[in-house]
Amino acid sequence: MEALPPFDLIRPRTLAQLIDARAAHPASRLLGGGTDLMVNIRRGIVAPPVLIDVNGVDELRTIEADAHALEIGAAATLSEVAAHSGVMQNYPVVAQAAGHIAGPTHRNMGTVGGNIALDTRCIFYNQSEWWRQANHHCLKTTGEICHVAPKSRGVCFATFSGDLAPALLTLDAEIDIAGVSGKRTVPLAELYIGYARQNEPVTVTRGDGKFFLSLQPSEIVTAVRARNSPGLRSAYDKIRIRRSIEYPVTGVAVALRRDGDILADLRVAFTGTNPRPVRLAGTDKLCGGPLDAPVFAGLDALVRDQIMAMKTTFTPGHYRRRVAGVLARRLVQRLFEGG
Amino acid sequence: MNEVLPAHNIGDYVPLVDGPEKVSGRAKYTADFIAPGMLAGRIFRSPYSHAEILEVDVSEALKLPGVKAIVTGADCDKGFGVLPIARSEHPLARDRVRYCGEPVAAVAALDDVTAREAVRRIKLKARELPAYHTAKAALAPDAVELHERRPKNIERDVFFEIGDVQAAFAASDLVREANYNCAEVCQNQMEMHAAVADYDAERDRITVHASTQVPYYVHLMLAQILDMDMSRIRVIKPHVGGGFGCRTETLNVELIAALLARKASGCVRIVVNREETFITHRGRPETDIRLKIGMRKDGRITGVECEAIMRGGAHSGYGIVTILYAGSMLYAIYDLHNVKYVGKRVLTNTPPCGAFRGHGTVDVRFAFESLLDAMARELDLDPFAVRRVNLLPPPPTFTDNDLMVNSYGLPECLDWVERESGWKNRKGRQRGNGHVRKGFGMACSHYISGASKPVNWTGEPHATVKLKLDFDGSIVLLTGAAEIGQGSSTVLVQSVAEVLGLDLSRVRIVTGDSDVVPKDNGSYSSRVTFLVGNAAIDAANNLKAVLIAAAARKLDAKPGEIECLGELYRAGAQDKGLTFNEVVVEALKDTGTITVTGNYSTIPESHGGKKYRGAAIGGTMGYSYSAQVVEVSVDDETGVVTVDKVWVAHDCGKALNRLSVEGQVQGSVWMGMGQAMSEEVAYYDGLMLTANMLDYRVPTIQDSPPIEVGIVESNDPHGPFGAKEAGEGSLAAFLPALTNAIADATGLRFNDLPVTSDRVFAALEKRARGTARNNNGG
Amino acid sequence: MARILQLTLNGRARTDAITENVLLLDYLREVVGLTGTKTGCDGGECGACTVLVDDQPRLSCLMLAALADGRRVDTVESLVSDGRLSAVQRGFHEKLGSQCGYCTPGFVMASAGLLRRNPRPSEDEIREALGSNICRCTGYVKIIEAVQYAAQLHAAGASP
Repeated sequence: MEALPPFDLIRPRTLAQLIDARAAHPASRLLGGGTDLMVNIRRGIVAPPVLIDVNGVDELRTIEADAHALEIGAAATLSEVAAHSGVMQNYPVVAQAAGHIAGPTHRNMGTVGGNIALDTRCIFYNQSEWWRQANHHCLKTTGEICHVAPKSRGVCFATFSGDLAPALLTLDAEIDIAGVSGKRTVPLAELYIGYARQNEPVTVTRGDGKFFLSLQPSEIVTAVRARNSPGLRSAYDKIRIRRSIEYPVTGVAVALRRDGDILADLRVAFTGTNPRPVRLAGTDKLCGGPLDAPVFAGLDALVRDQIMAMKTTFTPGHYRRRVAGVLARRLVQRLFEGG
Repeated sequence: MNEVLPAHNIGDYVPLVDGPEKVSGRAKYTADFIAPGMLAGRIFRSPYSHAEILEVDVSEALKLPGVKAIVTGADCDKGFGVLPIARSEHPLARDRVRYCGEPVAAVAALDDVTAREAVRRIKLKARELPAYHTAKAALAPDAVELHERRPKNIERDVFFEIGDVQAAFAASDLVREANYNCAEVCQNQMEMHAAVADYDAERDRITVHASTQVPYYVHLMLAQILDMDMSRIRVIKPHVGGGFGCRTETLNVELIAALLARKASGCVRIVVNREETFITHRGRPETDIRLKIGMRKDGRITGVECEAIMRGGAHSGYGIVTILYAGSMLYAIYDLHNVKYVGKRVLTNTPPCGAFRGHGTVDVRFAFESLLDAMARELDLDPFAVRRVNLLPPPPTFTDNDLMVNSYGLPECLDWVERESGWKNRKGRQRGNGHVRKGFGMACSHYISGASKPVNWTGEPHATVKLKLDFDGSIVLLTGAAEIGQGSSTVLVQSVAEVLGLDLSRVRIVTGDSDVVPKDNGSYSSRVTFLVGNAAIDAANNLKAVLIAAAARKLDAKPGEIECLGELYRAGAQDKGLTFNEVVVEALKDTGTITVTGNYSTIPESHGGKKYRGAAIGGTMGYSYSAQVVEVSVDDETGVVTVDKVWVAHDCGKALNRLSVEGQVQGSVWMGMGQAMSEEVAYYDGLMLTANMLDYRVPTIQDSPPIEVGIVESNDPHGPFGAKEAGEGSLAAFLPALTNAIADATGLRFNDLPVTSDRVFAALEKRARGTARNNNGG
Repeated sequence: MARILQLTLNGRARTDAITENVLLLDYLREVVGLTGTKTGCDGGECGACTVLVDDQPRLSCLMLAALADGRRVDTVESLVSDGRLSAVQRGFHEKLGSQCGYCTPGFVMASAGLLRRNPRPSEDEIREALGSNICRCTGYVKIIEAVQYAAQLHAAGASP
């Protein structure tokens, strides 16, 4: 018998009810598939007084995907996204990313919103209450130091591991955010603020592994949307130590456009490395010419510069960082050649 | 009249006799015994690796309504441990805690919420001591000693030299030495530890449901810990969700449940979570091995020098046995002379290790078969040829350390995997695509069929089986052998039915209740088929004699004239004879319900020798043998290793149940794969970092290759129907077969386990930088 | 807080008063007494607790019982009909897809879910569908054979 701490469960049927519930209970957590949140509750990592079940809100479950646009509600399940023919055809990077998250049963439960806002992870954080207490807690909870980088001076390095975010970032996706003050649509990239490097102060716009989302307390992500750009080829690949169940060692999404022999557009994004999903900056400078050795060297340099991978997982950071570059290179080559 | 023939089942594909319960959800495991009014038990665990206990303050916890009992080290001053010479452990720590997670106190409360809150209120005041999380640290000259009478933190030092190793090396064409490191691994059986203890205060009796491989040892330790006469204790072993050795000794969980139940005068259930199951541990210790082998040009081994250091954890457990197996089992697979072994089992401030499947043999076998492979390549010899030139002389034979070998199917195992894997044509299949490099590797291993001398031996037979036959004509087989999923119940039912020529449906089995079944040492070291199987055959023969005597009386014939055809007993081919039921009625006239006993004892020749202290460890009635070929693909850019296929041949003497043998061999190979490729118990400052099933990486179905099994039957002269063990011997060979295959594919030799993709990547990167030093064994 | 849970459990309508923080797993095992569904980890890592919710495999150790309200939940106990094992159960029994049996209810339910939506799965599809479940005994070889055999039995008319 697993004795969970007590909480109230609210089960709204409409988005309006959901927003109201969220406003009334700022300390609440949204419950989608529970594949991460329930684990963290069981381990005493979080103990929200109120859970708001999003699964009953039909408005959040739509998936629309055609040759022009993509829109996915936050409560759509990962299985539904992975198996949606419109997504598979027009936004393969999204279908592939969704289809390789955890294992099949997890994907029947896990939601798009949950994966986009997935809590950051760390080997010192994702442990039991007893364990974390014996280890004097950590920055991400109630502790004083980050065990990954004890000299980080208040910066937490927990790693973002959601697979959908890099896929969506390569599509320049936007998210709909709803709150008491209304709705707004912002680029997905703006959701993630886990920038801070060692000894850089954490600010409102530049957070870290602990403060990694830019949402206001009562706000929720309701949908993600993207437009198809003609000729864009995209794909997702990742490495895990085991080929199912676990989080990515690193995941890479690539979208590119080829005009004749020219690399006309290149977008690359990563997960499993930094406190945020990283859309690689500077890839535009690699475009405009053939896909040759200097392009790959340039890509490698960008990866080395922007991909951090600290010792937040049992698999060494160095490997995650380097293999991220390998996967990126391979995807670029494959997509350019037409695969 | 239709011709009646005795029924046979030996060698068939027999589904497990308890299978329908398991697939339908009716099988009850310890945690499933939910009774109204039962109390919930929870354990308070040490947050320190090593500390002197100043005070365990439970006063705030006791104030909580609903708390029925709290026990601490003060409630029990008796030690426990599987070896009578090493009972250093207490159910709840006294005076000192020696590892992070060691139980300090426990609560029984009306419900789990209350128990959890009570645990939260317990305060441990302690003075921290220097903690040693590696063998090296614990062996430092100035290290504080963890236990009395264990100077320098050495649980056991083993040394032997049989022959002259220096002379042998001097006479060799090639001598090579290498170091190996095998990470600590854990059984991670699917069922988490659980115990239900029900104390009857009126009668001062206790009944304990325990998820164990060794109900008898649990019984012994309960008596010791509770200071209760054994006759007042009943131990029930329900269905058990796997063991693999972590339940071959009494665990603190069942002892704590019993202490709580008595103190609360009630029934207490403890179901620990996965993290606590990991911390209870009893896994395979981290082992450092230095191995040196001398070889002649033709591959003949001249001498072996092996040094093994094991990080044993905070308590003795099976440690002494483990470090002895690592040395003794260098023998009995190849014809070795001139062997020197130095073993050190070290006490450290980490959870206690135990007897993981392949006990003591696996890591040393990994090192041995790896070095053989590297030396074969250096001498440009085929690895199969190197094994063949070192085969044991034909049995019966004894090894230099006095181990008895009566059957030896390794040559046939080698032939089978060489043929089925297409080994000789492998070169043509080695080309991969793009960045994929293909490789093939092979290796061998072996294991005992039960230790010839049990650890708690008081002179009684090594195995006892009872058969009960009554008016209904059904035979009830009573055994203490612990069915833990390995199919022991099925093989015993088969054995009895086979001897009596009856269909399996005539025989029912009752196991796992000390009130009903004869004592048995339990399911470990692959002893059940050989030892208990032979006892079952003996019992069946005794029953057959009773039935034949009854039939003879009824048919007015001599017993020697009676032909037993299973369902028909007759005096000669012309006789109409008696049905089985008629014979039973006649037999019951004398005595009423018939019970017969079958026994089995190992022969003294199997007990090992006396050439060094502990030389009995390794002695067995029969060794199983295994050979494997592994095919891998290595991505030379990412370091990702994929096992494409495994061919394994296992000499089990005689396959009593082919389905079970295949399943056991596949499970062993695959468990070896987990250790070789992804599993590792790691610590951070003494806290287990990997105590969950995300970070402790048991392979998923998506990672697991096809495993083709060849069964080799060497027909052991002492084995039941010729059988030997099938459940452990094939584990060890996978590890070196894998790394040998990776060496074949990449030219890189990995001596440290597990070979995770990041390690392969690092080695590839290092070589690419041109700085690889002595790393290339291929 | 307490709430009323109404669901169809193994084909029968059922109503219980439950607390909001009880997991579906614990509701099944401790409230209803259906102990066939197992727990093997501290949350979502092993699949032993897999049940079908509206025919779809779910991890009952990560799902609140309250969320099963109005839904159809099937556990391993639901598969036996007229006292006989279902095709999947026969597959796991006869092909030794089950050794210690502890992970078996989860594998059986994940397999039943697979065969309900795809009666003729390929080996790759079987591997894919069982990717959330860990078995420590079999090495999965005979689990795959068990599901293949179950699919044959199913094709011959047996219930999955």
